Amino acid sequence: MAGEKIDIETIKAMLNLTDEDLVKPLPIPTQWSQPFWDAAKEHRFVLKKCSKCGNVDHPPYLYCTACSADEHEWVEAAGRGTLSAYAINIFGVPFPFWVDLPYVVAVVELPEGVRMISNVVECDHEKLENGMELEVVFDDVTDEVTLPRWRPVDESRRG
Amino acid sequence: MGEAEFAVIGTGEVPTGNYPERSEFEIAYTVARTAIQDAGIDKDEVGAVLCAQHIMSNPDNDYNTEMVFGRLPEAIGAKGCKVTCMTSSGGASSYSIRKTAEGILRSGETDTVLVVHAQRFSQFSANEQAKYFSIAGCDVEWEYPYGMTYNSLAAMITQAYMTYTGTTIQQIAAVCVACRKWAMLQPNAMFNNKEITIDKVVNARMVSYPLTTLMCNVLGDGGSAFVMTTAEKARKVCDRPVYFLGEGSDYSHRTITRANMMDFNQLTAFLGPIANEAYEKSGLGPQDMDIFEIYGSYPTINLMVFDSLGVTEPGKAGELVEAGETSPGGKYPCSTNGEAMSFGHTGTGCGFAILVETVRQLQGKAGAAQVPGARFAIENCGGGAFMDCHFTVMGSEVP
Ligand SMILES: [Zn+2]
Repeated sequence: MAGEKIDIETIKAMLNLTDEDLVKPLPIPTQWSQPFWDAAKEHRFVLKKCSKCGNVDHPPYLYCTACSADEHEWVEAAGRGTLSAYAINIFGVPFPFWVDLPYVVAVVELPEGVRMISNVVECDHEKLENGMELEVVFDDVTDEVTLPRWRPVDESRRG
Repeated sequence: MGEAEFAVIGTGEVPTGNYPERSEFEIAYTVARTAIQDAGIDKDEVGAVLCAQHIMSNPDNDYNTEMVFGRLPEAIGAKGCKVTCMTSSGGASSYSIRKTAEGILRSGETDTVLVVHAQRFSQFSANEQAKYFSIAGCDVEWEYPYGMTYNSLAAMITQAYMTYTGTTIQQIAAVCVACRKWAMLQPNAMFNNKEITIDKVVNARMVSYPLTTLMCNVLGDGGSAFVMTTAEKARKVCDRPVYFLGEGSDYSHRTITRANMMDFNQLTAFLGPIANEAYEKSGLGPQDMDIFEIYGSYPTINLMVFDSLGVTEPGKAGELVEAGETSPGGKYPCSTNGEAMSFGHTGTGCGFAILVETVRQLQGKAGAAQVPGARFAIENCGGGAFMDCHFTVMGSEVP
């Protein structure tokens, strides 16, 4: 499945890219999502839960999407999930991600009743399987930002 | 007995492809004149001019600003124009702009509305286009930092759909082959001079597993227009108007993780009731449809939409497509302009292209692609990251 590798320097020259074009995009938190990223930085995985109706929202919004209440708490999530669908990016991704090819993007389903888009890492791509169990890992991509990603719970699937 | 309030009486279109020298203004003015002439009316009868938003606009001569500020009625000399505006809901724009047109017609302000779409991607570099679509397709906070793209979204849906329904990659590829066969019959299609095979599609360069380059749509410059009137006026001025007979709509999400349907294999469960509503309102059913004009944008979405149309058991659309039933000469002609994969993806214009093709087919003006004797068709569009869906049953007669 691995496509032929294209050197990023070749692409840079071909398309006149600047170094700025290759900078990885980081999440730009909102005032209501900041606690998620603050917790991730401390390697904690939290979700926004409504104090009125108990609804868990992800992505979080300004107020509860079920009952419109402001009152909420950030609860520790299990940090476990299952793989609901995946794609393996091989070619034609935004330039900052060329260095990572091939990489897996996935929909991860959480026991808290929400889903998130993330990467499955530390996994043998041949052993990806819908429904497989995943656990969260924290990737400190900069001093300020940590991205939660997911890896197989089953060590025999790791690669 | 169904009833029809509104109809399309004329269409216009320019070829889709890479035409950097053909400005979006030139496209808009051209398709406007063609549609008015095709409708057989005088330009001064047009009482409202509606434009779809141009995406990736050029700040030095911004098409959107110009159209919002009334450039088009002036440029085409629509002296009877009373209302002008711009409407957009991404790939669903052909539907939302039509709803705007219906509101204007229903108000009695005018009985004739011109609707226009124009797009020129080729004025932007490959890098600019890639950047725009990598951000437009997904959430900048929750998805883009993970290297998510439009193609990976479609790839994930494909991966899940294949796993849960048993659809093969050959059947996915067969959609692209069928689309290409239709495009070969379309003078305005972007890819209309080279047949493709299932093997060629499957073995093309892998982009986002399981999708290859030939399973992904290609951006192109293009545009189209149509003239909408009340059914009453349509009957008076047009030999073969195409009526809106019944519609259904629903909205699901912005980000796919918040889709109404928790399982990707259940997208049909979201789409099916919308199609049923359109059928019910029209008083017709799948057995009455001569054509199925689907705007899927990717082969798998095309199958999921087809799964929802009451023709086949959900999950089995791939078998019909592989057997050639949706190709020219097949029992269920589908996406007869070749849709995004072979006609070309014109941004907010894909739904316009499908609507215009539906009208052409039902007016008997589809040339080499004409489905003989077509009277009724169901067409669809949707926008964003598969955020919504709209089905419309159309007919050259009111049943
Ligand atoms: Zn609540």
